[in-house]
Parts: sequence; C-alpha cells; structure tokens
Amino acid sequence: MAFRPMLRRFRGGTFFVLLTVFGCGLLFAQTKPVEGLHDERPSVHALTNATIVQAPGRVIENGTVIIRDGIIENVGKNVSIPADARQWDYSGKMIYAGLIDVYAETKAADKGKGSDKKSGSAAAPSYWNDRVHPEKSVLELYSASGKDLASSRKMGFTSAWLVPAKGIFRGSSAVVTLGDGDIHERILNRDVAQHLAFESGGGRYPGSLMGSIALIRQTLYDAQWYGGATSAYAASSAGLPPEANDALAALQSVINGRQLLVTAIGNDLDLLRVMKLRDEFGFKPMLKGSGHEYRQLETLKKSRAVVILPLNFPHDIDLTAPENAINVSLMHLQHWEQAPHNPARLAAAGIPFALTRSGLDKKQNFHKQIQKAIEHGLSADDALAALTTTPAKILGVGSALGTIEKGKRAHLLVTSKALFEKGSDKLDLWIDGKRYELKKPSTDISGKWDLRMNQHDGVTRTIPLEITGTDKPKVTLLKGDHKVKADKASISNKRLTLLFAGDSLDMSGKIRLSGSIRDGSMHGAGELADGTAFLWEATFKETMADKKSEKKEAAKAEDKMGDIPIVYHGAFGRSGKPQMQKHILVKNATIWTSGPDGILEDADMLISNGKIAKIRAGLYAPGGATVIDAKGKHVTPGLIDAHSHSGIERGVNESQQAVTSEVRIGDVINSYSIAFYRELAGGLTASNLLHGSANPIGGQNAVIKLRWGSLPEEMKIAGAPEGIKFALGENVKQANWGDKFTTRYPQTRMGVETIIRDRFQAAREYRDAWQKYNAGKKKKGVAAPRRDLELEALVEILEGKRLIHCHSYRQDEILMLTRVAQEFGFKIATFQHVLEGYKVAEELSKLDFGASTFSDWWAYKFEVYDAIPHNGALMHDVGVNVSFNSDSNELARRMNTEAAKAVRYGGVAPVDALKFVTINPAYQLGIDKQVGSLEVGKDGDFVVWSGDPLSTYTMCEQTWIEGAKYFDRQDDIAMRDEIRTERARLIQKYLATGDGSGGGKGMKGSSGRIYDSHHSCRDHGDHDHGGHGDDGHHDHDEHQDHGHGTLNEVRR
Amino acid sequence: MRIQILLYIVLALMPAFLLASDQVPAPPQDHPIALVGGTVHTVSGDVIENGTILFVDGKITAIGTSVNLPAGTESIDVAGKHIYPSLIVANTSIGLVEVNAVRATRDYSEVGDFKPEVRSAIAYNTDSELIPVSRANGIGIIQSVPLGGVISGTSSVMMMDGWTYETTTLKGPSGVHLNWPRMGVSTAWWMTKSAEEQLKERDKNLAELDQFLAEARAYHHARKNGKDHRHNTRLEAMVPVLDGSVPLYIHANEVRQIQAALDWTAQENLKMILVSTADACRVAGELAQRKIPVILTGTHTLPRRRWEDYDTPFTAPKRLSEAGVTFCIASSGSPFAAAHIRNIPFQAGTAAAYGLPKSEALKSVTLYPAQILGIDKQVGSLEIGKDATLIVCSGDPLEIMNQVEMQFIQGRKIDLNSRHTQLYEKYQAKYKQLKMLK
Repeated sequence: MAFRPMLRRFRGGTFFVLLTVFGCGLLFAQTKPVEGLHDERPSVHALTNATIVQAPGRVIENGTVIIRDGIIENVGKNVSIPADARQWDYSGKMIYAGLIDVYAETKAADKGKGSDKKSGSAAAPSYWNDRVHPEKSVLELYSASGKDLASSRKMGFTSAWLVPAKGIFRGSSAVVTLGDGDIHERILNRDVAQHLAFESGGGRYPGSLMGSIALIRQTLYDAQWYGGATSAYAASSAGLPPEANDALAALQSVINGRQLLVTAIGNDLDLLRVMKLRDEFGFKPMLKGSGHEYRQLETLKKSRAVVILPLNFPHDIDLTAPENAINVSLMHLQHWEQAPHNPARLAAAGIPFALTRSGLDKKQNFHKQIQKAIEHGLSADDALAALTTTPAKILGVGSALGTIEKGKRAHLLVTSKALFEKGSDKLDLWIDGKRYELKKPSTDISGKWDLRMNQHDGVTRTIPLEITGTDKPKVTLLKGDHKVKADKASISNKRLTLLFAGDSLDMSGKIRLSGSIRDGSMHGAGELADGTAFLWEATFKETMADKKSEKKEAAKAEDKMGDIPIVYHGAFGRSGKPQMQKHILVKNATIWTSGPDGILEDADMLISNGKIAKIRAGLYAPGGATVIDAKGKHVTPGLIDAHSHSGIERGVNESQQAVTSEVRIGDVINSYSIAFYRELAGGLTASNLLHGSANPIGGQNAVIKLRWGSLPEEMKIAGAPEGIKFALGENVKQANWGDKFTTRYPQTRMGVETIIRDRFQAAREYRDAWQKYNAGKKKKGVAAPRRDLELEALVEILEGKRLIHCHSYRQDEILMLTRVAQEFGFKIATFQHVLEGYKVAEELSKLDFGASTFSDWWAYKFEVYDAIPHNGALMHDVGVNVSFNSDSNELARRMNTEAAKAVRYGGVAPVDALKFVTINPAYQLGIDKQVGSLEVGKDGDFVVWSGDPLSTYTMCEQTWIEGAKYFDRQDDIAMRDEIRTERARLIQKYLATGDGSGGGKGMKGSSGRIYDSHHSCRDHGDHDHGGHGDDGHHDHDEHQDHGHGTLNEVRR
Repeated sequence: MRIQILLYIVLALMPAFLLASDQVPAPPQDHPIALVGGTVHTVSGDVIENGTILFVDGKITAIGTSVNLPAGTESIDVAGKHIYPSLIVANTSIGLVEVNAVRATRDYSEVGDFKPEVRSAIAYNTDSELIPVSRANGIGIIQSVPLGGVISGTSSVMMMDGWTYETTTLKGPSGVHLNWPRMGVSTAWWMTKSAEEQLKERDKNLAELDQFLAEARAYHHARKNGKDHRHNTRLEAMVPVLDGSVPLYIHANEVRQIQAALDWTAQENLKMILVSTADACRVAGELAQRKIPVILTGTHTLPRRRWEDYDTPFTAPKRLSEAGVTFCIASSGSPFAAAHIRNIPFQAGTAAAYGLPKSEALKSVTLYPAQILGIDKQVGSLEIGKDATLIVCSGDPLEIMNQVEMQFIQGRKIDLNSRHTQLYEKYQAKYKQLKMLK
C-alpha cells in the first residue's frame, strides 16, 4: 500500500495536500481493525459512450473514462476498456468533473447560544475575546449526517469546502469528499484558509462594525507581537517567556502570508475595508462576496483576490400595491436589475471567482440561480469553472479535483443534458470510484396523446390527452372543447397510474388504469366503475407549445444585454463625480466671508482650480469661467457641522466597553448614505463624524467633506487633525439604559473621572515602555512591547496629535475634564453639547477650549434641565470659540437657521452668528487654514442662498466644494423626474419578469438596507410610546410608523 | 458626594419634583388696554398699519386706525411693532412631561391599549418650566395630547398661563386620540419581529380596534335607549366621539395607515381629524373631498423614504394647501418635542421658504389650528369679540431673529421670562462679577 504525501506550491504558499492513492482496493480507514469479513468489491469501471467535459471548454464526444481504485486511469475517445472493468453505458449522457460545494458554512451541531468558543479544554490558552478562535478547525464542528451528504450530492457536489460560520477569526477550513465513507478517508485538505468576518452585536464586544474591525486589527498586531516575542525568547531565553496563546500561534501563517485569509463581506464597502486591512498587514486576501461586487470591479481587479460569489439575487419584492412599492428604494430596484449580472461582470473583468450556494434562502435553488446568472451573460464554461477548476485551485486540491484527467480522483457528475441547460437531470455521481445514483432517468411523457380504451363488451373509446410535467405529470382528458383534469396521475418505475372521473366523458364513476411506458406508446389495463376490466393503449401525437416560457425567454433576452450603467448612490446619485470647474465667478452677491472682511455687499468672488482666487467688486471672468449671477442672493462659506453621525455604518457606538479608543469611525463611513446629499441641499460641506457617547472614552472620529458620489476614503479631509470622542455624565454612567445596566464601571460621575485618569496614567506608562525599547541599542533577543491600539490613541492625545471632542452637559463634569487635561498637559478641542458651558465659560475662554453646542435643546434628560438657548451667545460674549452642531441628519440640513438662534437668544450680531456654523467649527476641528471662511487661498467651498442665510424664508440654491458643484436646486428638480421615470421602468421590468411572487409574502430585502445606517443620535423621548414616532429623530432609510429606538444604541 | 447627595434630594422630592416655575400667572384683566400705533396682523382680515387694538375684560372690543379709548384705558405704545394673534400648537404632550428621562415626571401614557377615559387636562402641570419657555416664543394655546397604545386618551385645549388646570382649560374635552396600528412591515434594524409576525400583529390590532368600537356602540345604544347597563368609565369616554360632539384624532404617519383610517372612518361614520406627516399629501384628494383636516406634525423632519425629494417635508404644507386640504403645523407630540414647541413658528417659516404663501404659513399656526380644534370663535385671529390672546413682536414671528416682546392671554399680560432667561441673567451676573462682561 502506497501512501504518498504530495507537496505542492500555491501562489507563494506551501500547501501539504494529503493525496491518498491506493494500490488496491477502495479507500478505507487504514488503522481500524476489520470486523467480520474483508469485503472489497470490484473497483475498476469503464464509463463509456458519454460526452465528457474534461474541463471547461474541453469536450470529448463519445468518450470513455476508466476508473481504477478511485483514480481516473484513463480518459479519451479511443480508450481501450480493461478486461477487469465493469462497463457503464452512458450514451447520450454528459460527464463533468464533480462539483465542489464552495464555502459550505458549518456550525456546531448543538446550537449553543452566546459564545461560539472552541469546545476544547478549559485550560487551552485561547484569545481573550470569544469571537477570536483562529486555532479552531472546522472539522471540530463538522458532523454531517447521511441525509445531509445525500442532499449535497443531489446537487452534483462530490466534495465540499467546509468553512466555520461563526465568530470574527473563525478558524481554519477544510475540504472533504461527500462520499459515505468514514471521515478519515474523506479529508482532502486541512488548514486550507483562515476565516474572518465583521461580526458584531449580541450584547458583547464588539457591538459594532467599527469595533469588529478594531478587534481584527488588534488581534493581528497581537499575532505580530507574539511571533516576535516568541522568537526573541527562543534566541535569548532571558526572563519569562511570553504568554502561551493558541490563537496567536495559529495566526502566524496568516501574518506571514502563508495562509489565505478569507473574509465574508456584507456589501461592497466591506470589500474596501478588507483591502485597507490588507494594505496594513499584508495578508493574502480572499473574499466571500455579498453580491455587490460589480460595484467595485477596479479595486477587486487590482487586489488580485479571488472572490467567492453568492447568487443571492433580490426577489419577492412587493411592488404590486403602489403604497407598498413606494417603500422600495430606487437603490434596491437598481441592485435587483444589476445583481444577476454580477458573475458575468466579474468574468468580463477577468476577476477569478467561485460560486457558492451560501447566502441563498433556499439552497436547493442553487442551480436555478446559476441558470439565471447565465441568462444574464455568464458563459456556461465560466460557470463550470467557478464550480470545479477555480475552487480546486484555490483550495489547493487542483491536482486531485476539478477536471477529468488521468491521475486525478474520480469525482464525476453524470447528467442527462448539458449541466446548466433547463431540464438537465443529475443522474449519477462518482466519488472516489464509488457510484451514487442521484436520479433514475426521468420518464417524460409530456405532450398530446390519444388514449384508446378497448372494453370487453367491444366498445372502444378514444380520448385525447394533454400531459405536462415529468415524473409528476398533469393529465387532462378532452372531450371536444370540454377538459377534464385527472384526479391522480403518477409515474413510477416507467409505469403510469391514472385516475379520472368518467362522468363527463360518457362513462360513470371513477375510472382507474395503469400500464407501462415505452418510447412513443403506453399500454396496460384498467377498471371501470362497475368493476369490469378493459385494456388500453395510448399513442403520442405531438409536443405541447409552451407560451409562458416563450414570453419569459423574450424578457430574459432583453436583459442579457446588461449594459445599464451602475448608479452607485441610488436616487440623486450621479453616474460620475461632479467636475471641478477651472474658474467660477460669482457676481453681485452679498458675500458673508466669515473672515476679516465681514459681509461684502454687491461683491464678486473668483474661484480658480478649486481655490478662492479673488474677492472684491468688479471682477472680470477669465475665459471659460462659469459665471453665477448672484444678484439679490447671498453667498456664505460651506457650512460645517462639528458633531454628526451621518453615514456611519452598523453602529455609531461601540458601547460594549467603557474605553474604546481603538475603534475608528473612519473605518465605517457609508459614503452611499442619502444623508450626505440631503445635508448638501442645506448648504453643509464638512462634518465631524463622531462616535456616540456611550462610554467615557469613545472612538476616533473622521473629518470629511460631503463629497457625494465618492467613496469613503475620498470623503476624508486630507491633513485634518485626528480626533476622538470622549463623553461624560448620564450616558456613560448608564443612567438611562434601564435597570439591567448597573454593573459596568463607571456608574457615577466620580467613576467617570477616575477611569479617564486611570487610562491616561496607563498611556503614559505605555509610552515610556516604548521609549525605553526604542532607545535600547540591542534589539536582538529583546521583545518589542505589545502594540495596544487603545493606549496608542491616548498617547497621541498626550502628545498633542489627537484632538478630544468631549460630550458633556453639566458644569462640574466640564470642569473635571478641564482639570484632567491641565494635569496631563493636553488641550481639549471641543466640549460637545456643553449645555452648561455658560456656567464655566471663563475656564473655556482662558484655555481656548472650544464649545460645540446645540442651539436650543433641553429638558430631555435631567442633566439638561439647566440648558438654555443663550448658552452659545453667553459663551461667545466671554470669548469662547462657539459652534452650533446638529447631532442629527435632519438638523444638519438647516444649520444656517440654527445660527440665527444665536441672534434671537443673546443678541449675537448676525455676522458673528453665522461663524457658529462656518469658521468657528473649522477652528475647532483644526481645518480653519483650509475652510470655514471665504478668503483668498482657501478652498472654494461655498453656498448660494436665495436670501439672507439666517432667515427661515431662505433656501439653499447651490452648494460647491473645491470648485465642483455638489448641489443645485434646479438640477435636483430635474433629477426628480428622472428618478420617477427610472423607478417606473424598473417596476415594469420587475413585474414583467416576475421574480418571486411579488405579493406581500416574504418581503425579502424590500427595503434594500444593505448599508445599514443606524439612526442618528436623537431618540430620547419616543422610544416606548406607539404612535408618536418623532420623525425628526431617526435616520429615515426605513419605515417609522411608530416611534422606536433604544437608548442603548445611541446616546446624546 | 455632591452628586449623590443631589440624587438623594431629587429622589426624596420625586412626588414634588415638578417644582413650580417662578413666573407668576397674570391676574384677570381689570381695566381696558389699548395697543396703539402698531401694525395689526388680524390674520382673518387686513393688515392694519399704524393701528390700535383695544380689549376689555379679556375680549377684543375694537381694532382700527382710529379707535376711541374709554376712560381708564391703559394705552401701550407699540409703534414699530407688530401685533399677531397668539400662536397655537394643535398637538403636543407639553404639560404631561417635564424631563422625559426621569420616569417620575412622565404622565403622558397610561397603561393599556384602549384608554379613552384618561384626560390630559387632569395631569397638565401648569407649573411646568416648559410652559414659560414656550410662550416666550409667542405660543399661547396648545392641545395637550396623551400618548401610547391604540387609543391614548382624551385631550384638552389649554392656555399657556394660569394657576390650575381648570382655569387654563380653554376647551375640554377636545377629542379622543387614536394611534393607527402599523400597517407595513418594518425592516428597521431595531425590529426583532419577522414580517409574518408583524402582519399577524397588525391584523390582531385592527380586530381589537373594531371590537372596541363595536362594544362602545353597543354600550352607547343601550344607555341611550334607557337600558339598564352598568356604568363603564372606559366606554363612556367614547360617547362624545360616537355622538359627534368631539372629533376622533387619528395619528397615522404612513400612507397605508392613513388609507386604512380613511376607509374605517367612512365605514364607521366617524368625524376624523388626521394627525400625520408629509405622507398625508399622498391622499390629499380624498382628504379635501371629505373635508378632513390635517394636523401636520412639523416640517423639520426627514423624508420617509430614501428616494424621496429632500424637501418632501418642507413642501408638504404647500401641497396640502394647493389640494384644498385644511391643515395646520404642529409638533410631533413626542415627549422630546414637548420642550421644543417654541420652534413650531419657524417650521411654518420653512414651509413658506418652500412655496407656501407667507400669509398661509402664518395661518397654519394661528387661525387654522383654531378652526381645526373648534376654538376659532374665540381665538386664532384678531377680531372684535374674540379673546384678547395676542402677541406683540419686533417683526414676523416666523422669523427666528425677531423677538416676541409681549403676550396677552384673554387680556392678561403674561410674564415672558422663564427658567432660561433667569439662568441667563444669573450667569451674566457671574461674568459681570468676573469683569468679563459689562
């Protein structure tokens, strides 16, 4: 018996493929004693007369495959059949390489709640977070029953790539055959890849997308540290060794680029997130796609990552009743149209992919969905490759599986017609030389027949029949125009059984008959109602026309073109980004500069190459300039919101820990959020996207421009100082979270101060440890300190490189953090909300700590009972830099009239009030050299208003960013018609192709919420009282018939 | 320690936590008052430049450019100022909530799904700090609406000044409030129920509503016909709706809810007032034809659907107006919004920015809510015989930058100070002490 481990190179990494090749007999467990008799059966087979698809595009007509002991011994047209072979006549049939069940998600058999921690011994040194268990093998979870195997085989799968389905670092995957044998003989490859997903929620850390990304980052740094510390210890053996950690040990092959890291993504923005992590850590990425990959072809192509594509095309969209249809977003309808083209688009772009049935509601629809992809432009060869050669290659089993070639394992699929053709049956499966019968060849008697009954009494009747369907036929009996449906009709073992009512066919009672089916004829015996027997025979006349499918085919043919441009942002999205105009001349405007020039009447402004070139009266337009006649209109700088939660995907808060300085809003920007467009329509051009206020030390911020049409990274303002959210008071001490939340430290304002101080202390020590390490001359044998992303962010604060934006209400807590800042020697960029800032304004003024406040919110919590709308004015009057913020997707679209409230309450001069939403927030965010005022040399970010920007009667007419027009009310009004037309077209198309029932049932994906934008931060008040949804306080990509929201998720 | 002590004090004071505001309710008008030389915006009629308005015993007795002032008239020079009727907010939970996060201060939602018997006036806290803050922006009258469940309770129309809930009630009861059950299926992130469960729940809610109304009718019928049925407090509270003496306010935000409510009230022959969002525009034709008025819950909201025009809520008043629907602009009624009804006039201003004529915008917070609430014989415009419930402003009250300088409610001159102005003055004093302010 030969046992030969094969060594094989795969894209730079080495994979050990255990290929078991046996000299005699079938595969069997080699170490287990034989019970009873040895029972080895003949194991040489000749599969003859078949059309053999050796590999995609390589077809042998009328060929033969020889299998010996589970291995393909020969394949070809003129292959001599060995004498010891058993012969299988497959004439008229097709033989394919066995399909690979790609990305077969595997969960532990017992569906334990909560922790998906490995089942290993409690003493196994695992990672501290129970979602990180890379050391776990999927085989520990796998326990497929015979039934499961049979149902997988039924779909043509001969092997499966088992992947773990839960956790963040989920563990390693394996490839197994789907034969009935013992697991020992079924494993084709182990440790195929490491598996990752952005999992969060469930009341444990991480509770948000950004938290899961932060944890991934920290884990990979931990793995780097572990590798270094372990080898440093091995070299020196000085002191104590680093901790033992199976998880970090298991990740060494990932960070060294030896093992693939397969990440399951939820949308195309996740794809960009994976690539960003790849750039940071240099792992070898593969993606389990979401179905939106067609939106990022360029990035995908550059990444050279293989994609596992699901076929989860939207269906069952409720479009029948108009009042239901309006709740389906245009974005979702557009995705419905594009999604089936996803595989074809990837194929056209040359991006390698495999197809998976993961993600389907009904796994048995897999082949139907492949057919749909083929109808939408995917070639049958590409489809086949995605189920055979591509997965075999990426899984490191290419020398064993994927094609029908000499020396490979005999994994074969026999079908009645071409695999992806309609009505093709999967007949036999061969796995390692063992045959599994999937389906007896079906007996198709559909068509028009004449049934002749010959009764004993000599009476002969002829009844025309119409039969549809195979195996479970529907039989209709005709008498002239009159049609009688048979009560029962079935086919079994090539015999037809039929029961029908004789009454309307000039007979009485029920008539029963049965008989055998041969080519073109049937015959047998039956019994009349009175018990007398008769003989019958039926002859085939003609096939039936299928009108319905013809109509469908026509619709499909139209769709095959697939040349409809992708509109990435849905409604109000454009097919491209707005272009920067070389020169823009704004003429005759009232210009509120928010700079030293104050308000200029009847003035002109020239923007050249995105920057403000000149501001004064009587400017001439350079050649080719875009001229805006702004007579009677007002122009201001683009408005800036120093506190926004717009477009933050899957969690504004990482609320599962009190200190989460490791999480980053910049990781989770949803550039497709309609909030950005709506805010542009209110003159907003820049925002400080902040983490929520669920914890004393929250996450890192992102300062962006509202570049609607761009991707997340393009929205960030280059060079804007990094920042972080802190929070104090009721939210962080969980005062209003409910009775269950009473154990997390801190629960009091005392504890809030203490924990912040504690962390800064730790940060100092962390900084010192690194300084000591970096100063040391001898690096060999000395382990670097472990990188701690939480403390690293705090060190940046201590070093003045990271700005604090601190949610606060009461004067005592404001003073408290002020003192902590003084003690540790850092500045606070802003106190956010700071509703009692007016009580300690002298401190803020003295230290130049900014105040970013609500104009007039109060009374929703006890700590805001002393909030007054004069807060901004009073702080301003004593020299504090004051801004008004929104904290709301709704309010963020009318910041200009918020500024007017500083005039109403406290009498701030209008020219200064506008600065509350322009230069002041720019100063607070450290971007005032670039934006916030209209001054020569600054960015050409400006707004054209219909009148006085502080008036409630004024509309925003145009919003420009760096010389490119991002909003124009006239264009917007024109787009509305386009949107209506586009919706109508898509709805008509949907109804014509009939994807799903379309009738209320299921409502699958009707909202199209793939980029889950959690609602903005204002939900106090209306969370438990039906009927009074406070519309202004939710992010409205969704229904809101009744007020909801939880205090746990988002805090103000 | 300080904070804990404070908490203990708060806890100890819980029952009496609703500390009285410092503003003293005004005494009844005991002498004629004339506002002289201002611009009188009557709302129902002309704008009178350089006009005078005279009121006696709380009622307007004369308006014009040459008004004879009786002896003993207090004449107030309002030259350069503008006089308007006080603003009316037809939907709010003010008075029923102080600090929503503090449970002890929440009185807006009684237990159960059908509780028409609870009356908002009973819990209307005349000493709420939210009231002076609101009337400082010109709001003189509100409808205080209970929340929660399917039938949340019975509302009353209240004046924004007075010693007790009895003396501040302008009209009570003013109506019964029904929150139409959710009709659609939510796929929102917070929704834990499946589509099927939600639809089942919807059908159950609708069946319960039908059942409740049928029982109320049976009860009403029995009592009316002298049958000896035991008194039922709950069903008794439905009688004013059934006999048409008060309307049924149906709160329905989404078009499917509105459609269902329209069908139901047509079938049940009930007098309906719709409290809704911009979705009301989707059925504006039927609303106009059946003369069903709409209380629009604000314009400062987001479009309901991702693909909708960004200004959908801003243009809703214009669209209702053009369709011939009677409407007013009010608050969402949520407890959060209770503290912020002072911004309702500015929400009307936004409607004007987006196409509603300014005169209509003004009516949408004065005369129209008065008509919808059935108090227009008394308030809502400046006319002889109506209450002297009015404001004197530096300019258009829908403009944020203008100030409300005086308010009279039934001729009583109201203190426009509030917790906010008091704290403002207190801390101005601090900075004067620190020589940071003059």
